[in-house]
This record gives sequence, C-alpha cells and structure tokens, in this order.
Amino acid sequence: MDIGVIVKAALDVNVLRSEADGRISIENIPLVLSEYDRNAIYEASKISESTGGKVYIYSLLTWGPMDRKMRDFENVIREALALGGEEAFVVADKSIHYSEPMFTSEVLSRLIKKFGSPKLILSGEASTDMTSSTVAPYLAAKLNYNIVTYVKEMSLKNGYIEVLRDADEKLERLKIPLPSVVSVTGEINSPKLPTLIQIRRAFRKPLHRLELSDIDLSPVFSRYEDYRVVTIKRKNILLEDESLENVADKLIDHLIQEGVLKI
Amino acid sequence: MKVLAVLDNPKYIPDIHGFLEKAGFSESTLYAVSNFDIPDGFDKVIRVDDVSSDVLVRMGDELDGFDIYIAPHTKKSLEALSYYAGYRGIPIATEIIDYIVEEKKIVRNILSGRGIVSYRVATPIALTIAPGKFKGSISRTPEVIHNDVKPTPSLISIEEKSFGGVDIENAEVVVGVGRGFRDKDDLNIAFELAKILGGEVGCSRPIAADYHWLDEDRWIGISGKKVRGKLYIAIGVSGAPQHIMAANDTRVIVAVNKDKNAPIFEYADYGVVADLYKFIPIFIDKLKRRLDV
Ligand SMILES: Cc1cc2nc3c(=O)[nH]c(=O)nc-3n(C[C@H](O)[C@H](O)[C@H](O)COP(=O)(O)OP(=O)(O)OC[C@H]3O[C@@H](n4cnc5c(N)ncnc54)[C@H](O)[C@@H]3O)c2cc1C
Ligand SMILES: Nc1ncnc2c1ncn2[C@@H]1O[C@H](COP(=O)(O)O)[C@@H](O)[C@H]1O
Repeated sequence: MDIGVIVKAALDVNVLRSEADGRISIENIPLVLSEYDRNAIYEASKISESTGGKVYIYSLLTWGPMDRKMRDFENVIREALALGGEEAFVVADKSIHYSEPMFTSEVLSRLIKKFGSPKLILSGEASTDMTSSTVAPYLAAKLNYNIVTYVKEMSLKNGYIEVLRDADEKLERLKIPLPSVVSVTGEINSPKLPTLIQIRRAFRKPLHRLELSDIDLSPVFSRYEDYRVVTIKRKNILLEDESLENVADKLIDHLIQEGVLKI
Repeated sequence: MKVLAVLDNPKYIPDIHGFLEKAGFSESTLYAVSNFDIPDGFDKVIRVDDVSSDVLVRMGDELDGFDIYIAPHTKKSLEALSYYAGYRGIPIATEIIDYIVEEKKIVRNILSGRGIVSYRVATPIALTIAPGKFKGSISRTPEVIHNDVKPTPSLISIEEKSFGGVDIENAEVVVGVGRGFRDKDDLNIAFELAKILGGEVGCSRPIAADYHWLDEDRWIGISGKKVRGKLYIAIGVSGAPQHIMAANDTRVIVAVNKDKNAPIFEYADYGVVADLYKFIPIFIDKLKRRLDV
C-alpha cells in the first residue's frame, strides 16, 4: 500500500538570527528537516517494507524568500528521500514568505490528490519551528480522511490501522479506518541515520518541483509576522577549579548570595 | 460575539474563561460542547459522548455561526478543533499564551520558545489556549442539552498513565535530570538533592517519554510542564530549546554537564563543567554539612 509523508523544512531553532532591535531575521535562518518528521518517514518506510507500495514525500516551502531558501529546501527533501521516501512532490513559490497552516493544508491536499493519492498519510506530531500541531488534522479535513494524532504505536491491518494514541492523561488504543492522516510522536520509533549509499541513491530518486499554478492556486503574496526574540538574561558564570569540593563551595556561596538557598 | 468552547477536561475551564475575560469577550454568548457535565460558566452546554472530530462534524448546523471557536491546548481538544476548523475552512491559531489588550493581539511562541509573535486575527477564528497562562471565572447557569451523536466506534481500550501527583509547575526548587544519567537507579542522587533543597525532581522528555524512568508530570519542556520557581538545577541535560525555554521564567538556573560546549550553559546563571557522578555526591555532601542536615 502506498503511504504519503508530509515533511516540513523548518527553521533551525538552534541557529537564531536577529537584528539589534530584537526582530528575528527569518531570511537568515537555515532550514532543516523538522525533527519528528524523521520518525514519520521511518515509520512509513517500515510499514511499506512489510506490505509493499511506495512512500511519497509531500512538502510546501513554508518560509521565503524562495531564492534564499531553495537550497536548504532541496537538501531537506533529499534527506527525506534518503530516509525512506521514494518520490517527492514539492511546492515552492515566490509569492510565499510565510505559509500559515490553513494555506499549507490546502496546498498539501491538492498535491496529495493530484499525485499518488495514498490512503495513509503520516506527519510529525508538531513542527520544530511553529509547533502548531494543526497541519495534520486540518489536512485530514480537507482530504475528507480520518484523523488521529500523537500516535505512539501503529500497525497496519486489513483496511484499517490500530494505533496507541496519547490523550494527555491516558492512552487510547483505537481502530481507525482508512483513509486516514496520522501524526506520530517522537517516541514511536528510533530512526537510523541514512547510510552513505542511501544518501547517494536519494539523488537519483524523482523530485518534482511545482509552483502554486501547477495545482491551480493563485499566488498569495504572504508576508512574515513580527517575530521577536525571547530574551534570555543569564549570568553565564562558569565555576571552574581543580577541585570539585571548591566548585561545590563556590556554587553554594552563589546560591546563598542569590537568596535561593538559606543557611 | 458568539463563542463556542470545545472541552475535554474540566480542569481548563478557568483558562478559557481567563482568555475570554482578558480579550473582552466575557459578555459574549458562551456555548460549550463537552464530554462531561458543566454546571456553571456557560449559557448553553451541549453534552456529547466524546469530543472528537467526527462528533463535531456530525453535529452539523448546531455548531454553525460562532465567531470564536476555542479550546484548551490539550491533545484531544486540539485534534478535534483543528479538524473542525479545516472542515469549515476557518483559520486557526494554537497555544495562545497571552493577549495584548491595547493592540487586540494574540501572542504565541515560535521556534521552540526562542521567539514570540503577536498578531491580530479576524473572526471567525479557532483558537487553542496554552494551559496555565490565563485564569478567570465567568458565572452563568447553563441550559444543558444532550446530543447523542455517536462517535465512530473506534475505541479498543484505554490505558491509564501513572502519575505521582507532583506539581513541578508550582515548585520553588526543581532538580532536572536528563540523559546524562545512565540508569534509572542513579536518579536517586537527584531525589536526594531535591529533598535537601526542599524541591521536586523534573526531567527532560526522553527520561519520561522514551525511558519511562519518571512519570510524565515531571516532564519539563514545551511539550511538558513549565517551571518558574526560584531555582532550577539541570543535571545531565543538554539544553535543547524545547526543554530549557520552559524554565526561562525561573529566577536562577544552574547547569551541571560534563561537556563544556553543551548549549545548556548559555541558558544558565551558574555552570559546572563536571561529571555529574563525581560532582553531585560532593555537592550533596557539602550542602548537608553547611545546611547542617
Ligand atoms: C517538537 C519538539 C518538542 C520537544 N519537547 C521537549 C520537551 O518538552 N522537553 C524536553 O526535554 N525535550 C523536548 N524535545 C526534545 C529535545 O529536542 C531534546 O532532544 C531533549 O530535551 C534532550 O534531552 P536530554 O538533554 O536529556 O538529552 P541529551 O540531549 O542527550 O543530553 C544529555 C546531556 O548529558 C550530558 N552528560 C552525559 N553524561 C554526563 C555525565 N556523566 N555528567 C554530566 N553530564 C553528562 C551530555 O554532555 C549531554 O549534554 C522536543 C523536541 C521537539 C522536536
Ligand atoms: N509546509 C509543510 N509541508 C509539508 N508538511 C508540513 C508542512 N508544515 C507542517 N507539515 C507537517 O505537519 C506537521 C505538524 O506541523 P505543525 O502543524 O506546524 O506543528 C509537521 O511535523 C509536518 O509533518
């Protein structure tokens, strides 16, 4: 059975770039594969290994300007292909600087319907940069598929999937008929790093680059919101000494001085 | 304005009311769809078997025509509301942490807590509210009606999670443990330290979610609990933004890590570069002596 995975090229949260006034310069932050999408790809390729069928990768470039982000975007998609995707359909458009979940889902639903139409779509539980956790359910509604989110275990049965989903205070074991969109947690599996051979092979896998007009959508001319850095005011004092006894004493002295420890 | 709240847990009603009060909607017509009984706080309560995407969709016109659809940012309500928003083509903004009254803007975090964004939204809109950020109470006696739309039968079984009942969000001192600990039993030294300091033990996501060494109510991070006491001591934690930004409201942060280049040191007031297995026992020893315990 064919499986689709929606993957995001997310802003690298470990590389924050900002202006003197505290504005985050999205333009200058590199894109990386959103952390938990790795788990989604790995799960899809595990299932397809046992059942046959293809793993499709779908993606929209969320962040512009397109000419600055295109190289990172392609690298992310190649990585997704190295991790187990077999064919990718991606949209990047000059008119998009930021795509909100509603528009992202519209684009993804059109891509999925037009190319491959797999009956099972996997996603990460939340993207690393926006963590909105809405793209998967929103997409499911647009496709008229079932939805189940925060899945920690899943297995494919005949015409349905059995999942263990996290519902905050309890876990629910559910039987979900296909077609369905499933978002997976970071704990569902432990993805292996792609091997060199897998990486090399990824460059030969088909990657289809599309624009909005290819899926019958008009340019959107979106812009960024006003993103600001959250300030971190810490003292950053490293306590160093040959003797850990002395370090412990110094730390205790500091904590007393700070008024957080009372002797 | 007409507001519809989607609720799967009574615990978060003050968060919803708090947001509505702050955003100036406390006089609005206030409806709720919930899978539990609500005796107060809404004009009308539609009681359903389950708060799920298919139930909301099958309720049809009954849920039509609201300006604001609102839910706590819990996994179940979030799923149901996002799906419903998609079904109706309504924009959605999730995990709202604040509302700027003068500018009429909602506020949320981005970049795993390292960034913040505020913006205006137009109605109709769907919103989920981050727990613990708003607190309010609106008193109204609801008309209660039952809607017996049945969810698609999908439930095989329920497994309860185990919770020890600790409340690290309100603890003054938290000792956080990460993957620097090699074994579950080794966490004992963290518990001993927490006891001496009169605090609680918290942990990084892998300790709770991957290894299940500790219950999830100790999980600190953007997908777990926020800590905001006077002291947070992170031990063997690397300092991923998804973890440490949830401790940014703590007054003093101490980090113990054997890797000098661990990101946690950028987020700490005091850093100790050392093997935790060597340092923590000495630290405990010194504390005991100087605190005379
Ligand atoms: C969307 C999303 C949400 C997430 N939510 C959360 C969340 O809510 N909470 C959370 O914690 N994480 C969360 N994460 C995961 C996060 O990115 C990190 O993977 C995680 O916090 C790492 O946990 P850790 O620091 O325990 O482990 P590691 O990153 O493996 O760090 C272990 C550290 O221990 C140090 N160490 C090793 N041995 C010793 C020793 N003997 N003495 C001293 N130091 C030692 C190492 O130098 C290292 O720095 C999330 C990720 C994503 C993508
Ligand atoms: N632009 C995008 N293209 C493809 N998939 C996406 C995109 N944005 C989000 N997703 C998917 O939706 C998941 C949740 O993202 P979010 O709703 O932003 O938290 C991600 O882990 C991805 O699997």
